[in-house]
Amino acid sequence: MDGAKQKLETLLDELSRANNLPRLKAAAHDVDRIIDLLSEAREQIAGTMDSHTASLTMTKLQNPIKTAFDKVNDSLKAASSAHKKVGRSLDKHFPLKPLPTDDDIMEQHLPLINRAIAMHLLREGQFGVASTFINETQAKHLTAASSGLDESMDEDEDEEEEEQGDYAGPHADNKHSSLASLHSQELQERFAEMYSILQHIKAHNLLPAIEWARANSSELEARGSNLEFELTKLQYIWLFKGPAVNGLPDDERNGQSGALAYAREHFRRFQARHLREIQQLVSAMVFAPNLADSPYSATFSTDNAFDDVASSFTREFCSLLGLSAESPLYLAVTAGALALPQLMKYTLATRSKGTEWTTANELPFETPLPESMLFHSIFVCPVSKEQTTEDNPPMVIPCGHMLAKETLQKLCKGNRFKCPYCPSEGVLKDARRVIL
Amino acid sequence: MADLEAARINHDNHLLLDQPCLRLPYELLRQNFRSFHVPFDKSSNAVKDLLKETANGSLNGKTSPDDVVKNLDQMLVKMRGLKRKLTTAAEEEDRLYRQLNARIAHLRELANLNTVDDVKYEGWSRQRLDRLLVDYMLRHGYDSSAIALADEREMKDLVDIDTFVTMSKIRKSLEGGEVQEALAWCNENKKELRRMQSSLEFMLRCQQYIDMMRSGPQAKMLAINHAKKYIYPYADTHPQEVRNMAGLLAYMPDTDIEPYASLYSPARWEKLAATFVEAYLKLLNLPMTPLLHIALSSGLSALKTPACHSNRQTQAQARDKDQPTDGAAASTSATTTSSSSASASASASSPPNRPPHAHYHPHGTASLTTRVCPICSTELNALARHVRYAHHSKSRLLEHDLMLLPNGRLYGKARLDEYAAKSGLAPGKVKDLVTGEVYSVDELRKVFVT
Repeated sequence: MDGAKQKLETLLDELSRANNLPRLKAAAHDVDRIIDLLSEAREQIAGTMDSHTASLTMTKLQNPIKTAFDKVNDSLKAASSAHKKVGRSLDKHFPLKPLPTDDDIMEQHLPLINRAIAMHLLREGQFGVASTFINETQAKHLTAASSGLDESMDEDEDEEEEEQGDYAGPHADNKHSSLASLHSQELQERFAEMYSILQHIKAHNLLPAIEWARANSSELEARGSNLEFELTKLQYIWLFKGPAVNGLPDDERNGQSGALAYAREHFRRFQARHLREIQQLVSAMVFAPNLADSPYSATFSTDNAFDDVASSFTREFCSLLGLSAESPLYLAVTAGALALPQLMKYTLATRSKGTEWTTANELPFETPLPESMLFHSIFVCPVSKEQTTEDNPPMVIPCGHMLAKETLQKLCKGNRFKCPYCPSEGVLKDARRVIL
Repeated sequence: MADLEAARINHDNHLLLDQPCLRLPYELLRQNFRSFHVPFDKSSNAVKDLLKETANGSLNGKTSPDDVVKNLDQMLVKMRGLKRKLTTAAEEEDRLYRQLNARIAHLRELANLNTVDDVKYEGWSRQRLDRLLVDYMLRHGYDSSAIALADEREMKDLVDIDTFVTMSKIRKSLEGGEVQEALAWCNENKKELRRMQSSLEFMLRCQQYIDMMRSGPQAKMLAINHAKKYIYPYADTHPQEVRNMAGLLAYMPDTDIEPYASLYSPARWEKLAATFVEAYLKLLNLPMTPLLHIALSSGLSALKTPACHSNRQTQAQARDKDQPTDGAAASTSATTTSSSSASASASASSPPNRPPHAHYHPHGTASLTTRVCPICSTELNALARHVRYAHHSKSRLLEHDLMLLPNGRLYGKARLDEYAAKSGLAPGKVKDLVTGEVYSVDELRKVFVT
């Protein structure tokens, strides 16, 4: 593993060195010299128009010009050998491995990719680029559709309309609906709102975020999110710290008395769920003079609090839009880079054997991803070693062990089965399908 | 341990998508040098020859001083031309070295990382995504978007705008029925194309011939002369095509006899454009498809699970509380009917403009600690339908101490406790994170995953 890293470093070092090797521009000096020699000679001969001077000058010109040309050639050779050195380093430390491009499924679904890119740009706050992109893809799509060249694209859209009931409106005959279904204007407004609120959070102004959380409190609550309370709590703490820390005006709405007033007004609505925490927050008043040494110091530390609350806010905001907090395109491409070596290994192996992918739905090889890229629990039946699916779901048997449905059916003798992992026995009707 | 292994960056394998990024500046350095060097050699030899000739002529009195001056002027013109070409090539070389440097710096950032969990990895990988996006936009001809994104992210040296803009321009000229630009490009890269055994130039020459034939009987002589000069030389390598060209003389453009109808067809321009793009990419050692396509088809599969496209069903089932979970006794036919009725009820109960924050979330993960899966998220869900799901040989559970709720749903004990606390439930009660049903702890069963 370290060898690979070493190799990359060697490559980069060697390539960096190429920057100090001679370049083409080194030849310029000698080309200039040839031009100077030629013009000088021309002036001399033109000045006298004497055939003796002409032949003498021309004879004297031969050697210096030949030398200059030789030097130019040397410079060019040196520049060229620098290029070749770059090439040799690449070949040696970074040999070209052909990428699997034969079977490009993605090419058939360009409208879907374009839509994913447009949404990615919007969620990244790249509104200018996003609108350029949406215009450009639509313009191209319209010309393509009018010349009737893009049947596959149309197919894609029909399918998408069925799948994306949430976004696609009733416009089945709309040619460029895949991007229209994005409701890009609406989405852009939402993300603009998100970025403006995030900006305020970064500037330690929580009020717009609190306002948003309050407006969406029932949805947030249904998700089990505490965002509104977390924001309110941080606002209390921030006020508590007083003008010296928070830089807000030094008046009755700031400092400890301001915090207390804020608490009276706003904590009431959270009493049912967060009574204990509220009690703690308010009793911290007692320790106000030396908070740092008190049991409350951790609660009142705001070092990361604004960053934390900003990322919870982003997560909740995106979730309410039905979107993941990280850009899916980012995750997919990163996962793609991590899984690509396995894919290439497999393609290479099957190509040499002449076999093809046979399993219809599942990849025939493993693509291990880091923990952070796991989003669903995966259950692999310990007996059949198959991943459970909609058709072969996980089942829990009375002793609490989990098996795939097909495994269970095979284990059955009549209606009864014995657990493969413990001595207990059961009957089929007591097995329960579970949802992970 | 396995996870740590999966998170480790293998520097040998991690840069498969970045091969063109580093290699292209090299290919362009070579191309730039070649396209300068050949005419340079020619002109400088001409100057040297003329110089020698003039000196000899002047010595033996054959060339008058007047002519000597004229010849010198001619040499000067040639040399100044060379100087201009040299300057252009040297500037391009500087630009390419600058790009190479920027890319070295970019990859050095990765060389300093050991695991994808390093906070710096995300920044690096985001920049890679931006590069792949620009590559995708350029290859599909969305040039303004590509330039806008590269500008916005200040990464012009990491992407190859000029290379692809040149390609788009020639491709578009072909799609517009114009061969000149493509022929000029073939001429510049004659040697390499020959080595690649590309038939692009032959196809372009044939197209010129076809167009002459199309323009009417009076151009037939012209077409025959063109064929003698540019098409017959290919008789050895492309015998069948050359015969077809000869046969074309006998057919009018409105013929419906093959292969002549296809030769006359305007669709041939599309094919020419595709052949050109293939040759152009191959010459520069660039992959035939956008890198984003490769990354996505590999990444979508790696992330996809069987659950990613069954959410509606499972939710509908969860919602439909009356439906008994009839366990393994359910025959296959029962499962299919229940799932089809479930999906029917799902579509019936989701009006087209359902607010995205309806209580039952379209993507099922309406819970406090799970993150919305990228494949389940709106952006990629439909696209991911077209790829296979990942293969796993071991269970990978996000939670531990799994508890089974009476409704058939499994949650980790920690998450159930946390949610109960956050929801302000009475002690001894838990709440389903998805459906919101409340149960007593006594009703839960422990589940073991072996």
